[in-house]
Amino acid sequence: MGKKPKIACEGVTKSFLRDMKTIPVLDTFDLSVQENEFVVILGPGQSGKTTLLRIIAGLETSSSGRVLMDGNVVTGPGQERGLVFQRYMLFPWKTVMGNVELGPKLRGVPKKDRREIASHYVNLVGLSGFENAYPHQLSGGMKQRVGIARAYANKPEVMLLDEPFGQLDAQTRYFMAKETTRIWETEKRTVIFVTNNIEEAIFLGDRIITLDGKLPGRIKSTFRVDLPRPREHIDADFLELRRVITEETRLLL
Amino acid sequence: MSTPAEPKSRFSIVRSCITMWGIVRAILKNRFVLYVISVVCFLYVWDFIAVHRVFGSYMPRLVEVISKLGSMMAEPLATKTLLEHVWASLSRVLIGFLLAVVTGVALGLFMALNRHVNAFVRPVFDLLKPMPPIAWISLSILWFGIGETSKVFIIWVGAVVPCVINAYNGIRLIDPELYDVVRMLGGKPRDEAVEVVMPAAFPAIFAGIQISLSSAWACVVAAELVAARSGIGFIINLGMNLSEPSMIVGGMAIIALIAWVIALSVEWLERWLCPWKRELLNG
Repeated sequence: MGKKPKIACEGVTKSFLRDMKTIPVLDTFDLSVQENEFVVILGPGQSGKTTLLRIIAGLETSSSGRVLMDGNVVTGPGQERGLVFQRYMLFPWKTVMGNVELGPKLRGVPKKDRREIASHYVNLVGLSGFENAYPHQLSGGMKQRVGIARAYANKPEVMLLDEPFGQLDAQTRYFMAKETTRIWETEKRTVIFVTNNIEEAIFLGDRIITLDGKLPGRIKSTFRVDLPRPREHIDADFLELRRVITEETRLLL
Repeated sequence: MSTPAEPKSRFSIVRSCITMWGIVRAILKNRFVLYVISVVCFLYVWDFIAVHRVFGSYMPRLVEVISKLGSMMAEPLATKTLLEHVWASLSRVLIGFLLAVVTGVALGLFMALNRHVNAFVRPVFDLLKPMPPIAWISLSILWFGIGETSKVFIIWVGAVVPCVINAYNGIRLIDPELYDVVRMLGGKPRDEAVEVVMPAAFPAIFAGIQISLSSAWACVVAAELVAARSGIGFIINLGMNLSEPSMIVGGMAIIALIAWVIALSVEWLERWLCPWKRELLNG
């Protein structure tokens, strides 16, 4: 544990003010993520997990506590963290290529170079041939591939994924989880992946952090997943871990 | 074996009748055939009204209208030929419309991006918004005389409202998470404006501009009907004073024609400017 964490949350608390009432969303959240670790935050709806991710992203500020990246306090959004949105958030007026190259474009990378970068990541997510398609011509799974490629193309050190497959059907969801493993193993990054799906969590994570089922969100338990990749959903250890986590979750509901 | 031929042939007659009916039905259902039938019916009803003098002698036949338009092309009316009158109306529309787009879109943008501006402008805007632009004509003539200014003013009044409303709504309805995308990728506020605000609001603004244009066209005719020495509204008004219905209907036909051409070209412009919307409609 001598290694410095890539991302560290220290006593992060968040509450919103709504209708003159303070609604606590996160309660003294401590988390440290090592470089190239794949951490999954697992919790049901309304457990503060999206808020946590947005605070780590720098899109929202915590009420107290702080987020550190490489030991530096996070004060706002930045290029070194990439976010994949639950609702894709592709720009409908841009083609796949236009969406993916947006990050390098904003950083002033010359057109030829950013095309090269974008092509690389379009290929990585398996969308070659669709460079000139507009988002509305793509299926949900393909849209989120674009979302992942767009985040990757900006060369972030940390990838934050906010229930990225929440809007997909079950089969596509399985497949996208496989693809996520493949992409991550091809180009390793530190990943914080938020989901409400237990199987997805076990399939993907090095470590799973479960949240309490109600607000304010706080860490319930941590599971280390040492199964070799690619993982099988019907593997005995996989099923055992799923049983343990399901048991724990059941008590909450 | 005795009489097998007769029922068989009767059957085949029935069958060929059914096929004939099928063909006729297919022809009748064809879009273009229906277009032609529609136009022919319209022209027939028109001619019937004119020939049978349903409205006395005040309904010209199509041929009369065409020949009147032809003669107006050649012989000047109030020192201007037909094309010059059309240009008089068109140039008024263009000036008033362009002024309305520039001021209206700018105002809508400011209202959407700054809530203080919105709070300041909104009450007056909401008060004046439902006023029909034509209601301004009399005041406009008193203020600006019967020259070009009063007509441009009326057109501006009619065209500015849809520009403001659509620019405002176009920006307010942008998904705020789209800004987060730009911020996460390291963009500055200027990038948010260029990459999100402008393209996201553009279709709505463009729709507002389309409404503005047709409103401007309606306003110019109204303004010219009241006080003008040129323009299509003037031709229509003159036709009324001279009891020359072919002149009136000719003027109306020109208005319809120009409005149609404008609508087509704006549609084409939109397809060219918003390719992501085009495929949405066709697919």
